[in-house]
Amino acid sequence: MKQWPLVLIGFLFIAAWPLLVDDVFLQRVGALVLLAAISASAWNLLGGYAGQVSVGHAVYFGAGAYASLVVYTELGWPPIAGAPVGVAVSLAIAALIGTPTFRLRGHYFSMATIAAAELFRILAANWPLLGAAVGLMGPPVPRTVADLSFLSPIPYHYLFLAVLVVLLTLTWKMQRSRMGYYLAAIRGGDRAARSLGVPVLRYKLYALLLSAGFTSIAGSLYAVMVGFIDPDSALGILISVKLLIIAALGGAGTLFGPLVGAMILIPLEETTNAMFGGGGTGITFIVYGAIILLVARFQPRGIAALWEAITTRRASRVP
Amino acid sequence: MFLEARGIIKAFGAFRAVDGADLDVTQGEIVGLIGPNGAGKSTFFNCLAGDAEPTAGTIRFLDRDVTNATPEVHARLGMARTFQVPVTFEDMTVVENVMVGAFLRHHHRAGAMRKAEEVLEFTGLSHLAGSPARSLGTPGRKRLEIARALATEPRLLLLDEALAGLTPAEVRLAIELVRRIKGLGITIVIVEHIMEVILSLAERAVVFHQGKVIAQGAPRAVVDDPAVIAAYLGHHMKRVRM
Ligand SMILES: Nc1ncnc2c1ncn2[C@@H]1O[C@H](COP(=O)(O)OP(=O)(O)O)[C@@H](O)[C@H]1O
Ligand SMILES: [Mg+2]
Repeated sequence: MKQWPLVLIGFLFIAAWPLLVDDVFLQRVGALVLLAAISASAWNLLGGYAGQVSVGHAVYFGAGAYASLVVYTELGWPPIAGAPVGVAVSLAIAALIGTPTFRLRGHYFSMATIAAAELFRILAANWPLLGAAVGLMGPPVPRTVADLSFLSPIPYHYLFLAVLVVLLTLTWKMQRSRMGYYLAAIRGGDRAARSLGVPVLRYKLYALLLSAGFTSIAGSLYAVMVGFIDPDSALGILISVKLLIIAALGGAGTLFGPLVGAMILIPLEETTNAMFGGGGTGITFIVYGAIILLVARFQPRGIAALWEAITTRRASRVP
Repeated sequence: MFLEARGIIKAFGAFRAVDGADLDVTQGEIVGLIGPNGAGKSTFFNCLAGDAEPTAGTIRFLDRDVTNATPEVHARLGMARTFQVPVTFEDMTVVENVMVGAFLRHHHRAGAMRKAEEVLEFTGLSHLAGSPARSLGTPGRKRLEIARALATEPRLLLLDEALAGLTPAEVRLAIELVRRIKGLGITIVIVEHIMEVILSLAERAVVFHQGKVIAQGAPRAVVDDPAVIAAYLGHHMKRVRM
């Protein structure tokens, strides 16, 4: 890859961000960008690389978020200890949902994932163990460092950055391995892939398990940082849509697409929320809608494709 | 027996696209499958390759019953096929398309890459290796389909109209390629519309008509068979009248 210098500069910029700005709002936006990048990169494993557009990833995000706070409320553990529990639950749900939904194609698959996710949201909203409609709270004051409860966004920034680096390194290795080629073939067409010996269903399932596991970790990190979740903020359909939009905006099926998408969407969302007050879901929906329209109309393959088009044009101008 | 299909029926509703067809293939030969459009050749291929489940009949390949086996299993056992309408992986380059096939027997990237390059060389596509597959025209795509199938290192290759839509010069190149594939020791069943191709390539011709095998034997003798002429002529006249 000839973009390595650019990647290095981008990485250094992100790593230095909280030190470059000493405004807490901007530092918080930085941490949220990384969290969104983790979530969307996790979605990208299935939705981007394998081309199976899930609109139900809130299930895995929610499983991670709830697991973190349930181990605290029920057992008194530090919330981060719930992350492996969330991953285990997510893998179980993925295995359960995956096999039947993968028999569906295109829009039908997407619709089935929405339905499954909504089912879990309704379940959580009525289950006292999960705080029902009210939701769950983390530790009000940190008991030990293990509670990972900090006033400053800076520790979260570096925690999220570390997780993102692990995830992207893994994705990069996957992309270059047999699995990467098989997922690309599946995205290109099941029928041709199978004729070449690609076990399509098995690889879709691998991609889903990997994707669900990391989405769940993102959910746990979110709960650890925010310290409060309810059915809408941890399992709402808006989360599923957001992951999809971020990845599509930056470029689904590319390594850095979700990170680029997060670097655009999250600051935009946070500033509009700050300007129009509160969680402003109305504004959020309008922004999401506008982005879907723009991406669909002008650059269906995201900013990464735009970048590719620009750089190859520049390259081909050289005699 | 290398490949043995017995009494294959494939029904779509009440309509039988394949209606009790038999086929025997011995190792090392080139069999030509001919017949008018709509005779059921592609549907029969889909049954052989595990892409469609036959309504009735049995298929044995290398002494194994593969009647209900998936396409993946067929590929692993050594049966590869091309599609009449090429199904290229559009977002990949030419060499990446071929690597997908090569990964079947070479689990590591370097090995798959080496195999893919070897196949591209063999099929005369080396100069296009790095090009996006979506930039290929029909002849390129047909050749890429063959290359991808060869990369799975098959023992039997099913070619569905791999030469259709090519110019006479391209057809000559393709015929030469098929001969070289046979030279590798790969058995070939080829569906072809152009009689001359079957006459120059196949050692044996099998004629399909309305889902049934109506004649088979030496290509020369088969094309002079009155029943075959009638099948083709009847079909031709029907089309003219439309
Ligand atoms: N999936 C399908 N559903 C219904 N009819 C089909 C299907 N596939 C093929 N057919 C019909 O079966 C017949 C044989 O088609 P095909 O096998 O493609 O013939 P050939 O390859 O010899 O031209 C045609 O009449 C075609 O319309
Ligand atoms: Mg056909």
